[in-house]
Amino acid sequence: MGTFGFLGLLAPLIAPYDPHAISGASLLSPSLHHLLGTNDLGQDVLSQLLFGARESLLVALAASSLGTVVGVVLGAWAGLRGGAIDVVAMRTVDVALAMPALPLLIVVAALAGPNDLVVVLAVASVTWPPIARIVRGQVLSLRSRGFVGAARGFGGGSLYVTRRHVAPAAGPLIASQFVDVAGTAIVLYSGLAFLGLANASTSSWGGILNRAATYPGIYDSLAWTWWLVPAGLSITLAVLGFALLGLGMEPGFNPRWARFS
Amino acid sequence: MRASSYVLALLVLLTLNFFLPRVMPGDPISLLIELGSPVFVTPGTRLALAHYYGLDRPLVVQFGRYLTGLLHGDLGISVTYNRPVTRVIGERLPWTLLLVGTALALATAMGWLAGIHSAWRRGRHSDRGLLVVFLALGNLPVFFIAPVVLLVFAVKLHWFPLAGGATPFATSGRIGRVADVLDHLVLPATVLGVLVSSSSFLVMRGSMVAEIGSDYLLLGHAKGLPDRRLKYRYAARNALLPAATAAALQVGQMVTSSVFIETVFAYPGLGKLMFDSIGSRDYPVLQGCFLILTAIVLTLNFLADLVYPRLDPRVRP
Repeated sequence: MGTFGFLGLLAPLIAPYDPHAISGASLLSPSLHHLLGTNDLGQDVLSQLLFGARESLLVALAASSLGTVVGVVLGAWAGLRGGAIDVVAMRTVDVALAMPALPLLIVVAALAGPNDLVVVLAVASVTWPPIARIVRGQVLSLRSRGFVGAARGFGGGSLYVTRRHVAPAAGPLIASQFVDVAGTAIVLYSGLAFLGLANASTSSWGGILNRAATYPGIYDSLAWTWWLVPAGLSITLAVLGFALLGLGMEPGFNPRWARFS
Repeated sequence: MRASSYVLALLVLLTLNFFLPRVMPGDPISLLIELGSPVFVTPGTRLALAHYYGLDRPLVVQFGRYLTGLLHGDLGISVTYNRPVTRVIGERLPWTLLLVGTALALATAMGWLAGIHSAWRRGRHSDRGLLVVFLALGNLPVFFIAPVVLLVFAVKLHWFPLAGGATPFATSGRIGRVADVLDHLVLPATVLGVLVSSSSFLVMRGSMVAEIGSDYLLLGHAKGLPDRRLKYRYAARNALLPAATAAALQVGQMVTSSVFIETVFAYPGLGKLMFDSIGSRDYPVLQGCFLILTAIVLTLNFLADLVYPRLDPRVRP
């Protein structure tokens, strides 16, 4: 995971070519000049992958950060205040959880046009509900503990109690949720890009897959091995990386998992 | 409590479907005009068009019309096919049901058998191996693996047809036609089924592991019942319940994955229709597909919730 982040961060420095520049003939097979060959336009695939790492991770992290913040704030608020606020918030979560994410994202992205900001907002809007529910549950159990009661008794407001007591106690759980959500966000973003619904001027992994899979002659030559496969593998590894990171963080907080592994 | 949640979700869905296109940039009249000849359109024509489509009425009135239309099965007219959206969707829906149904059967058979085995031998080598394989399968993006499978089995090996749901204009009797449809079904259904089997496996394994410590198994073992019988007739039967509920929820997941599968394999179902409607900016079809797909998922989730207490005699009052 770290490797991807690092490579993405350094993309402008280590990429051998500008990902948009035409740096050779089209569909060159891998060589010393182009380690992963070139695509149909003669752009360097390796450079595109490196910039794609940056693009994909950035969008996924932005979306999952936004989703996590919204989920944590809403969940903590609902859990601490209780009453009508809690009922309304949890009902909203129920409804949002019942909605299938992908069709909704497709419609929003198709109507709003290819735009990374829209994708970030849309992905965030489908990732917050589970977090809100988990945080609320955590807050409810924390609320009954002595130290939170004491803090409230001394006149601490919701915001203060969240920041001072709830966030640290629920922190590890939130962190593992964040990692989980980041994986989902990568898949959703790449999926939208694959359907041609993300910003086409940037080279995300899903965008590379889209271009490669819709290229009419992709199956006639071996070009798919250096054009399509690396991008797909990158997505898989990134998602798997997030999943394993989440799993590794989980046993401590989820007793059900601790029993099995 | 639960039922009202779903009714609420359905209402939100209908409202979203109505308001999303209205808050997004661009309006249908401009789109229509762009498609024709913008030069000759005066502001007067524009107003007349808006009036013709009822777009100059207050939003509330439009919303009311949209709802009554829906109740009559009216989803509007497709721009590309020039036919009612309901009809277009009606033709595509059976293909998606066939694909998802086959894949579900495959995923369930694979996931459950492997899950039972894995839980029975938990912690051993075969369990660890299966866990790794299924976790990896669960994380493979469908839009990556599908093109690769298509390439290997259809393009290189020529084992299966490249695209579509059936060979057009083929006339070889009823049996030949069924065989043809099945031939086209194998690849997409297998990819979808295998990818989704990961969650069947995990749920079955988890549910089975929870059964394994039970007293009745210990008693059965002490009575000298054969291992096979204990495994399948006793433990697996009790573990089936959460797994069966999870299967209903999985269909939702499969319906969404089918958008990618159908796009890659050019399978003539709803997902492909939805994808095509993005390219041709056929918004009535896009929204119709969205509405139907989401409604299917909502209904299945609701059914799973509804059926669960009825399946388990222990929960029954």
